[in-house]
This record gives sequence, structure tokens and C-alpha cells, in this order.
Amino acid sequence: MPSRPFTSSVGTKLLVGITGLFLFLYLLVHIAGNLVVFAGPDTFNKYAGALAGNPLIIVIEVVLLVAFLAHIVKTVAMTLANRRARPVAYVVKKPAGGRSRKTLASATMIVSGLWLLIFVVLHVYGFKFAPAPVTADGHRDLYVMEMTYFANPFLVGFYVLTMVIVGMHLSHGISSAFQSLGLDHPAWTPRILTGGKVVAALIAAGFILIALWAHFTGGVRA
Amino acid sequence: MATISITLKVWRQDGPGKPGRLVDYTASNISTDMSFLEMLDVVNEGLIAKGQDAIAFESDCREGICGACGLVINGVPNGPVRGATTCQLHMRSFKNGDTITIEPWRAKAFPVVKDLVVDRSAFDRIIAAGGYVSFNTGGAPDGNCLPISKDVSESAMDMAACIGCGSCVAACKNAAAHLFTSAKVTHLALLPQGQPERYTRVVSMVDRMDQEGFGNCSNEGECEAVCPKDISISGIAQMYRDYHSASIKS
Amino acid sequence: MMLDSKTPSGPVASKWDRARFDNKLVNPANRRKYTILVVGTGLAGASAAASLGEQGYNVKSFCIQDSPRRAHSIAAQGGINAAKNYQNDGDSIYRLFYDTVKGGDYRAREANVYRLAQSSVSIIDQCVAQGVPFAREYGGLLDNRSFGGSQVERTFYARGQTGQQLLLGAYSSMMRQVADGGVKLFPRREMLDLVVIDGKARGIVVRNLVTGELETHAGDAVLLATGGYGTAYYLSTNAVNSNVTAAWRAHKRGAAFANPCYTQIHPTCIPVSGEEQSKLTLMSESLRNDGRVWVPRQQGDARPPEQIPESERDYYLERKYPSFGNLVPRDVASRNAKQACDDGRGVGDSGLAVYLDFADAIARVGEDVIRMRYGNLFDMYHRITDENPYKVPMRMYPAIHYTMGGLWVDYNLQSTVPGLHVLGEANFSDHGANRLGASALMQGLADGYFVIPSTLAQYLGSTALPAVSTDHDAFKEARQTQQDQITRLLAVKGNQTIRSFHRRLGHIMWDYAGMARNDAGLRKALEEIPKLREEFWSSVSVPGDPNNLNQSLEHAGRVADYLEFGELLVRDALHRTESCGGHFREESQTPDGEAQRDDANFSYVAAWEFQGVGRTPTLHKEPLVFEEVHPTQRSYK
Ligand SMILES: Cc1cc2nc3c(=O)[nH]c(=O)nc-3n(C[C@H](O)[C@H](O)[C@H](O)COP(=O)(O)OP(=O)(O)OC[C@H]3O[C@@H](n4cnc5c(N)ncnc54)[C@H](O)[C@@H]3O)c2cc1C
Ligand code: HEM
Ligand code: HEM
Ligand code: SF4
Ligand code: F3S
Ligand code: FES
Repeated sequence: MPSRPFTSSVGTKLLVGITGLFLFLYLLVHIAGNLVVFAGPDTFNKYAGALAGNPLIIVIEVVLLVAFLAHIVKTVAMTLANRRARPVAYVVKKPAGGRSRKTLASATMIVSGLWLLIFVVLHVYGFKFAPAPVTADGHRDLYVMEMTYFANPFLVGFYVLTMVIVGMHLSHGISSAFQSLGLDHPAWTPRILTGGKVVAALIAAGFILIALWAHFTGGVRA
Repeated sequence: MATISITLKVWRQDGPGKPGRLVDYTASNISTDMSFLEMLDVVNEGLIAKGQDAIAFESDCREGICGACGLVINGVPNGPVRGATTCQLHMRSFKNGDTITIEPWRAKAFPVVKDLVVDRSAFDRIIAAGGYVSFNTGGAPDGNCLPISKDVSESAMDMAACIGCGSCVAACKNAAAHLFTSAKVTHLALLPQGQPERYTRVVSMVDRMDQEGFGNCSNEGECEAVCPKDISISGIAQMYRDYHSASIKS
Repeated sequence: MMLDSKTPSGPVASKWDRARFDNKLVNPANRRKYTILVVGTGLAGASAAASLGEQGYNVKSFCIQDSPRRAHSIAAQGGINAAKNYQNDGDSIYRLFYDTVKGGDYRAREANVYRLAQSSVSIIDQCVAQGVPFAREYGGLLDNRSFGGSQVERTFYARGQTGQQLLLGAYSSMMRQVADGGVKLFPRREMLDLVVIDGKARGIVVRNLVTGELETHAGDAVLLATGGYGTAYYLSTNAVNSNVTAAWRAHKRGAAFANPCYTQIHPTCIPVSGEEQSKLTLMSESLRNDGRVWVPRQQGDARPPEQIPESERDYYLERKYPSFGNLVPRDVASRNAKQACDDGRGVGDSGLAVYLDFADAIARVGEDVIRMRYGNLFDMYHRITDENPYKVPMRMYPAIHYTMGGLWVDYNLQSTVPGLHVLGEANFSDHGANRLGASALMQGLADGYFVIPSTLAQYLGSTALPAVSTDHDAFKEARQTQQDQITRLLAVKGNQTIRSFHRRLGHIMWDYAGMARNDAGLRKALEEIPKLREEFWSSVSVPGDPNNLNQSLEHAGRVADYLEFGELLVRDALHRTESCGGHFREESQTPDGEAQRDDANFSYVAAWEFQGVGRTPTLHKEPLVFEEVHPTQRSYK
């Protein structure tokens, strides 16, 4: 009997895990890049420009898009299948506690995920496709754009909330992806479990910092 | 010896696909030394004496090894005590005046037969799909011809301890049977005897598991927490690894 | 009725070889044409179904539980014997044979026991190959321990879950056959009747426990592997659905019942705590390897154990049996516990318990080692009693555990009804009047994996079996008989619960036919049981729908059978005025209170033939011949 590397329940997890980890890695790079904002407009714009000029970036963007779509398709399909697997709900259901890894985050992955979907659409439109100011040398002035963007308190609120949600998604997601790939080890798994939560929190905190900093200081005026 | 009185809300359902509902019963003067199932026996005695249909629930060994019993008690499979089956739960875990809700395992793959009894034959079909070593009686070499390190054999035993109760499915928000399936996959994957069929086994068992209508695992570990035999979800990781390897090998 | 044991001739060591050579064979191509009905999926039934399926027979497997994996064998804790002599401590097939015959107090058939000891060796190989994770030593080889009644280490074990692991092994082999189509499963079916056509067992009637339908199945042979009848005593270590129903209904159709009074009491069970208790939990006797049994020297000493100084404790097993100490066979250990309690030296609230103390062992090897050896048993005890056995001694009391009696079978495991074969605890064959620890698992697997594949072929190959269909009148009659019984049960509509009758029967059995029996008590029981049976049929309440899952109806049918069977057990106990093994007649004891056999008058198997409910059954005797082991007074001093 042939295996179903991506369609069986186990294969599905392989795909969700790989794409999830890839998205997570992207976020790591993304936050690293965005933290450059603290270095001031010139450095930031230069960095962004260098990135945009790199021909590799288009490849990465395509892979990212595919991963993102695959992640969504798989997780949505999975969630629907999971609902079907329990047609009659419990009248009373409580978490078991003890060694369980269940958290509010793990129980609401689909909610946080769908929120992220909406966010990403708005975000990419806002930062990538919307008309942007231009720097003296003719590049898009992302720095100014970001500062202008975060001047809006509603947008900042939306971002902060979203970053909390990202943190939640990842607080279960990171370690979960390791498990899905079958990466389990008596000594390492506990570290991955805590490490995943810490990294998730750091990512959320980092993004929140950027948004709040931009909002309250307006950045460093060039 | 202390006694308590409690209110029960018990799921009653006439048969598969029929509507069910929670029905209230009171159980008075229950000795705290009684097991939970003995408490249900007492309630049933009362019903039978009045000529009323007794609450159907399953049990056999009543010592935590056959895997027949299993009820969701106040929202948690097997109730408040961890590492124990329902028949190993004692009334000393409850207080006078408590209300206890009792429901059957709920999963599409475990249709209700009656009241608290469900059909777990899906588990048998998963085992039939490959949870064995293929050889015929009589052909075995001497038991000591293959040394197996104590650690490996202990780890295999940890997994082989699964009693097929289905608590894992009952607890999982996705009604996934990953813990059960992985326990058998891992038990045999660890032992030399299981090697020849290791990769075909995992593929066919997972296939069967999917066909039975169990959900997907989202690595929540509720199953591990309620498992009366403390089977670890590291077995699920092992099953994933073996499955992924099987995909690469084929 | 003729009892022909069909024991092969020749020296004991070559009888089985000879039988296997003499037995007819069935051509592999023809096996598919035979339908074998295997009732029961414990060690005996599952191993038989698996092996016969592998050979190509068309097997149908029936069990009460929702899954064959839940058969009661799953509960066995301690281990399984095999004459591997891996420990180089002087074991051999002959020694295992000898120990088993002696342990059975010279009431077993030598040839069967020898074959059992021979098969034991292959059983371990078979199970290891299935992936049974037996305990191992650091070097990677199989570990052994010693078990009640033996001075060699020949017991193989898988933590405290040996029965589970062996059963799951047999079950997995059987499920492989299910996948291959050789075995078809019929779970949640209760066998209610045997169908006999032209004097041969040709089918069964089962109740589908989910739909209530009475189904009939035809076949060329019927294999009963339905376990023991310990729940006749209501409280026992057996699973709550254990029953005598299948065996009893076969008995009513002509299968002789042998030695029903041979019941085994296990010395180390958790004492009864209340009237609503539904079963007793056994603590593996492996605990006696490290635990020391004692009671206070003084009667009525109510001090907690830790306040009783060493000098005021009576380690009575060590005192009375210096060479075996705490490891004396079960019947000896049980009786001594009863004596201590009868003597007013019992402990605990009820005074019906003795201590099993690990303090010395913990001091000697440390708590960790003890936890490694018995952790799950200690946890189990703690959970049930709310007492921590690492700190306070366990309280133990004997309980009904195993039944050596069962349907009479010849050397080929065939009952007095041709075609009806009986395996495992359900037959009477190998343990005589007392079973040694770790021997039941061995017997179940020997019967199923190694004996029946050969002896069944002999039956099939030598018997004309014209095709029968379930339209045959005999099927209709059997089905109707069962339909009527169900209708009758539901029609009583009394106001007493089924359980109350079961409990009352249990009290009668335990009081008069329990650990110690005497003439007056047994006669009393013979009066009480029929009365209780009458009361049952006039005032039991069996509610619910016959065409649905109805556990009350199931239980009622089983209790109805026990109310008939109990009488047979008592009658057998009454007629056997000697003491032997688990059957202790107070009238027949040595001056120091040990069981006193009467070989001159009772060296036979008592096989009873059914004559009707309430009628005196006919006794047939199969004389026991001892060519190898010469009966002596058992001594464990
Ligand atoms: C607590 C405990 C511990 C034990 N420990 C040990 C030990 O350490 N070592 C040892 O050697 N022995 C031990 N024994 C004894 C041993 O477990 C049993 O004797 C043995 O397992 C019996 O196996 P079996 O296959 O004959 O029957 P069982 O395992 O009892 O199986 C009976 C089967 O028959 C089916 N059945 C019964 N009635 C019907 C019916 N009417 N219709 C259809 N199906 C029916 C049941 O569903 C089941 O599948 C222990 C026993 C107990 C109770
Ligand atoms: C940048 C965006 C995202 C990142 C970094 C991310 C990351 C992850 C990771 C690492 C996992 C764990 C994978 C596993 O368990 O194997 C995961 C799981 C999940 N993701 Fe995302 N994800 C993102 C977006 C989304 C979106 C848009 C959805 C919307 C549908 C979504 C839905 C889910 C769900 C439902 C799960 C749980 C899967 C399960 O039950 O096992 N995710 N995600
Ligand atoms: C404070 C938080 C964030 C800031 C300031 C920020 C900033 C930016 C900027 C400036 C760009 C434009 C890059 C360009 O045009 O080349 C961008 C693109 C993008 N961001 Fe963010 N981002 C934030 C959070 C997030 C989060 C949480 C996600 C994912 C869940 C995300 C996903 C993306 C994606 C997918 C793109 C498009 C990448 C591409 O096409 O190359 N961002 N972000
Ligand atoms: S894995 Fe645990 S919970 Fe699941 S069936 Fe096995 S023993 Fe029960
Ligand atoms: S609870 Fe369910 S989500 Fe997976 S880890 Fe266990 S099967
Ligand atoms: S009844 Fe056997 S595990 Fe509970």
C-alpha cells in the first residue's frame, strides 16, 4: 500500500508543519528586518531597498505565497474534518490538565489563523501595494510610510491585537510543528516546548514594540 | 466508612442514531470506598427493582486492564483521577452533594450503541490493518536468539501497555485516534521482531485510522493526559517519523 | 456415556509425538472447506483461532466483549511458566511436569501434563516472535522469576501485565487472520446453546447482544474456550462478565462436566470492603517473593501494624513451612490465612485479612527496586484501599480465583460430545485439584497454539461430516429453546434484582463450598440452592427490551445457569469426601491440618452427566493412572 505523503492525516501534518515552520522562519527574518527601523530611516530604507533589489526575493515571495496558501488550505480542511469526527458534542467538556499541552492557543488555532489571514491581506496591501511616499533617490520610503501608518491609533490597536494573536498561534505552533515532523526527544522536547513559547512571545513583543514606538515617537524625523 | 449522596446526570440514548438526553438520578448513602461503577450498579439496582431499564455501561475486569469501561465524567474521560480507568475511580474522589455528569465517548468512529456504551470496533480494524508481526504459529526461533536491550524492551512495554480503551479519542478535541494507533506502531517499531514490516505497517494502520473517520491530531496532548496507561505522545512523533520515512522510501 | 481418555500408549515423553504422528491430517487444500466455530477469545480461543486460520480453516470467532482483546485473560498479572531452563537452575520439561502433577495433588492426567510441559518451551518462542515485550536482563536475554510452589526460576513475565501482553500477542495474530479472511469476528455474541446433530456438535446459537437477535451458526466443529466459572461465587477475581453459560448449556446437551468442585482460592486479594462490592482484586502472588505474611500472635490484637513488635508477630508461613516459607502453593497459603482469621488473629476492620509486609524487603533492596518490581501493583492497592503499601503492610485475604474443574475432555481436548472441543480454563484437564501459579496462561496457549491444530485435524480427518445448514430442525429447536428461556425471564416481572440473587448464591457457595467444606454445610447448600433458584424464577425482575442491548437480560441468563450449576459443584464436593488441592474437606485432614488425600477411593476424575434440572446427575469415573509420578502426601515443609 503506497503512503499518502501529503494527504493522509499524518501527511497533512507534515505539510502543515513544514509550511508553519517556514512561515515562522519568515517571521523571524521579518522581525529582524523590521527591527532595523530603530537604526533610523537611512539604514532601514537602504536595507529594504537592498532586499527589494535582490532577484532571489521574488523566489522567496512565491514560495512564501505557496506555503501560506498550502498552510491555509490544509489547516482549514483539517479543521472541518475534525469537526466531522465528533458530530455530537459533549454537554460538559473540560481540559484534562496534567501533562496535557492544551492551551487556549492550541484550542483556537483556526481562529488565530483566520485572523492572521485577514491581517496579512490588509497588511500586505497596506505596506506593499498601497501608494507609498518616495525617498530622495527615488525608492519607496518605507520608513516614512510605516511612521505615517502607525500614527493612526486604530491601526496600532489592530496591530497590537494581531501581534498577540500571532504570539498565541506560534506559542502552540512552533513546538507543534516539531512534533508533526516527528522530531521528538526526551531531553529536547521539553526545551522546544518552552523555547517555542518564549520565541513566540519575543516575536509578538518585538512587533508590538515597533508599532508602539512608531506611534508614540513618530520615529526619528529625518 | 463515610457515605455521600450525589446527583447524577446520565446520558440515556436508546440506540445508534437515536436522540439522547441527560437524565437526572440521585444516589444516596454511597460509601466512599465504593468504586464509581459500583455506584452505578447501585443506581441500576434501584431501577431494576422498579422494573425500569438499567443504565447501560460497559465493564469487565474492573481492575483497569481490559479497557472495556470508560465514561466521560464531568467533562473528562475517566474522571478526576489521572492514570486510571473509570473502574479504578473511587467515590472518595467526590464530595457529598456533588453533581456528576456522565457521558459516553463521543466520536463519529465510536457510534453510541446504547446509553453509555459505544462501538469501538474501529480499533480492532486498525489493528487488523497491520498491528502484528506476520509469521505462522510454530515457526518461531528460540526466544533468546535475539537479545534486546532492557531499555528498548521497557520502552516497547510502555507502548504495549495500551488497553484500547479509547479515552484518548474521547479526550481529543479532534476525536483523533493517534495515540492508540501510535502505541501499537511504536511498540512494534522498537523491537527487532517488528522491523521487517515496520514501514508497511505504519502506512496501512494510518490509512485504516483515517478511513474510520477519526480526526487529525493537533498535538494537544489531552490524550496523553487522560490515558489510563500513561502512553506518551512521543509515540505519535515516532509514528510520524516512520510514516514520513515510509513516504521517502517508497 | 463412555469416558475414553484416548491417551496414547508408550512412555510419557513420547506420547505426544506419537499422537501427532498417528493423528489424521487435513490436506491444506481441503481446510478451507471446514468451518470451525471458536467460542471465546481469551488466550485459548484467540490462539486457536489464529493458528487454525493460519492453517487455512474457515474460522468464526465469538466473544461477549466488544473486542476480542478484552477477554478475561487480559487480567493475568504474574507470569507464564516454561521449562526453558534459561537460568540453569535444574529445570527441565520433566521437572515442570512433575511439579504440575504434584502441585495438582495427583488429580491430573499425566499424559496431558507432560504435553503441557513440552509445549511450554515453544510458547515462549512464539510469543517473543509476536513482539511480546517480556522482561529482560541487562544483557538482553529473557528474565525469569520464581512463582508460588516452585523452587526454580521458570516464570516469564511482562511487568505485572503478562496476561495482557500474551493475549494481545494472540489477538494480534488472530487479527492478522481477520485481515486475511481466514477468521471472521463475531464480537458481542453470547453463546446460549450447542446444536448437536447425529450425535456431533454442528453449531451454536448465539445472542447478538446489540440487536438481541438469536443467530445460529453451523460448522464442522465447535471449540469452547469460554473460561472459568469463578463468578459462581459472585465475588471473585474474575471479570464481571465471566460465566459458566456456554459450558453449562453444552453440558445440558451432553458434555460431561468434570471435577466442578476443584476451585482455587488465591491467597493474596484485597479484602472485601462492603456489600456493594462487585469484584475482588487480586494482587499477584509474585508479591510473596518479597512480602512476608504475618498476623499478630495474640488474638484480637487491634494495634496498628507498626506498633506490633517483631516478637509479637507470627510469620506463620515461614514458621510452618521453613523450606518454602511465603512461597507455599496457593491452597496452603489460603487455608492458613483462613485459619489465622478463624483463630481471631485476623487484621483490619473486618478481621478477615492478614498482613503482607514489605518493610524488610524495602530495607534490604531499597524502595526503588521494590517500586520497579511491583510499582503498578502497589499503585493499584493504594488506589483501591487508600493506604500506601510502601509505608503500611498490605492487607490480604483469599478469594476465588480459578476453577480447575470444567468440561471433561479426552487427550485430544474433545468433550463427550464428538466435535465439541474444550480449551483453556473451560476444560478440566491439566491442573488436577490445584493449579500452580503461572500455569493457566501456559495451558491456554498450549491448547490453542499447539494441541488443537493437531487434534482437530484428527477429528475432521476421521469423521464423516455431511453438510448441515441452519435450517436443520436441530437449529430451529435450539433457537426456540433459547427464545423461550428469554421470554420466561422477561415474564417473571418480580421485584428482586438479578444481582441480589447472584450475591445470595455467592454467599451460599462461599460459606459452604468455599475454602473449607464439610458434609453438613454441603448438604445445607444442596437444600438452599434449589430454593433460591425457585425464588429467582418467581420473583426476579428483568427489565428492558429483548431486542436491544440489555445487560440485565444477559446477567439474568448467567445467574440462572449458576443457580443450576452451583448445585452440581456442591454435589461434586459432597461426593468427594477426601481433601485434595483446592478441595478441602474438613473431615479429611492430617493431624497438623493439611489436606489428606484418599487415593484408594478417589484417584479418579469425576465426570457428571446431566439428567435434567433438579435431577441427580450421573457420575462417571475416569480412573487416574500414575506411571511416572508416584502420589505422595504433598509436603512443603
Ligand atoms: C486476576 C487474575 C490473574 C491471573 N494471573 C495469572 C497468572 O499470572 N498466570 C497464569 O498462568 N494464570 C493467571 N490467571 C488465570 C488465567 O488468566 C486464566 O485462567 C486464563 O487466562 C483463562 O483463559 P481462557 O482463554 O481459558 O479464558 P478467558 O480468558 O476467560 O476467555 C473467555 C472468553 O470466552 C468468551 N465467552 C465466555 N462466555 C461466553 C459465551 N457464553 N458466549 C460467547 N463467548 C463467551 C469471553 O468473551 C472470552 O473471550 C489469572 C486469573 C485472574 C482472574
Ligand atoms: C504567518 C502566518 C502563520 C504562521 C507563522 C503559522 C504558523 C503555524 C505553525 C508553526 C503551526 C504548527 C504546525 C503543526 O502543528 O504542525 C501552525 C498551525 C496551524 N495554523 Fe498556522 N501559521 C500562520 C498562518 C495561518 C493561517 C493564515 C491560518 C488560517 C487558516 C492558520 C491556521 C493554522 C491552524 C488551524 C493550525 C493548527 C494545525 C493543527 O491543528 O495541527 N495558520 N501554524
Ligand atoms: C509591527 C508589525 C509589522 C511590521 C512593521 C511589518 C512591516 C512590513 C513591511 C514594511 C513590509 C513591506 C516589505 C516590502 O514591501 O518589501 C511587510 C511585508 C510583509 N509582511 Fe509585515 N510587518 C509586520 C508584521 C507582520 C506580520 C505579523 C506578518 C505575518 C503574519 C507579516 C507578513 C508580511 C508579509 C507576508 C509581507 C509581504 C512580504 C513580501 O511580499 O515580500 N508582517 N511587512
Ligand atoms: S492510548 Fe491510552 S487512552 Fe488510548 S486506547 Fe490506549 S490506553 Fe486507552
Ligand atoms: S489529544 Fe488529540 S490533538 Fe493529538 S496529541 Fe492527542 S490526538
Ligand atoms: S472494566 Fe476493565 S478496564 Fe475498567
